[in-house]
Amino acid sequence: MDQTEGTHNPSPQGERERRRGAGKRAILEKMEGGEGAVVTEKLEEDEERTKLLRDRFRLSVISIVEAEAKKQGMEIAGHVVPCIAELAFELTEQLAKDVELFAQHAGRKSVNMEDVILSAHRNETLLGLLRSFSHELKAKEPQQTQKKRKRSSNNEVS
Amino acid sequence: MENTFDHELIYSIFKLVWSRKAAEKNEDDELFNIEVGRASKKNRRTTANANALKVSCELLRIFVSEAVQRAAMIAEAEGSGKIEATHLERILPQLLLDF
Repeated sequence: MDQTEGTHNPSPQGERERRRGAGKRAILEKMEGGEGAVVTEKLEEDEERTKLLRDRFRLSVISIVEAEAKKQGMEIAGHVVPCIAELAFELTEQLAKDVELFAQHAGRKSVNMEDVILSAHRNETLLGLLRSFSHELKAKEPQQTQKKRKRSSNNEVS
Repeated sequence: MENTFDHELIYSIFKLVWSRKAAEKNEDDELFNIEVGRASKKNRRTTANANALKVSCELLRIFVSEAVQRAAMIAEAEGSGKIEATHLERILPQLLLDF
C-alpha cells in the first residue's frame, strides 16, 4: 500500500498544477470573448470532477488488485497498479459511450443490462460470464419477493 | 465477490462522460440551429438502471483481475515472485483486444 501511494502521488499533483496553469492561461486568452470564459470555467470544473472520480476509482482498483495478487500468491510492484487503474478508467469511459449509443439505438433513454452485455459481444467467454451474472441478478429479485410472501404466509399460519 | 466497484462511483463516471458528450453535441446543435434559424430543443439525459450498473461493475472487476492474473502468469513463467511493469506490458495487447 505504502509503496503504491509513494510512487504515484507526486505525478498527479504536478499534473494538476500544470493543468491549472493551462486553464488560467486559456481563461485570460478568452476574456475578450466574454462567453468563452464561461465555457472554460465549466471545462475546469469538469476536469476537477474527473480528477476526483479518477482518484476514487483508483482506490477501488488498488483494493481489487491487492486481493487478486494475494490470491495468486504474487507481489505486485507499486507503479504497476496506477497503470492498471488508468487502463480500467479508460475502459469505463469507453463503456459509458458504448452503452449510451446502444440504448439510444434501441430507442431508450435508460441503459439496461442488455446494453452492457452487448458491449462485450466480441469476447464470447466474457459474454457468457456477464450473461450468467445477469441471470443471477435477475434470479435474486423475484426470489426476494417470493420469500417475503412465504414469510408472510408463514406468519399467518403460525 | 468481496472486492468490487461502488455502483455510485461508476454511475457518476458514466454521467460525467454523458454530460461531457451532451455538451459537445449541444454546441454543434446550436451552431446548426443558428445557421438554420431554429430554437434549440432540450436534449434528453441518459440514465442507467441498477442492474446495468451492477453488470458494469462486474465487467470492470473482471478486467482488473484478468490483468493481474495474466501478468502473474508471465511473472511466474519468468520465475519471478513480483509482478513488474514489463509483465504488464507483455499481456497488454491481448488484454486490450479482449475487452
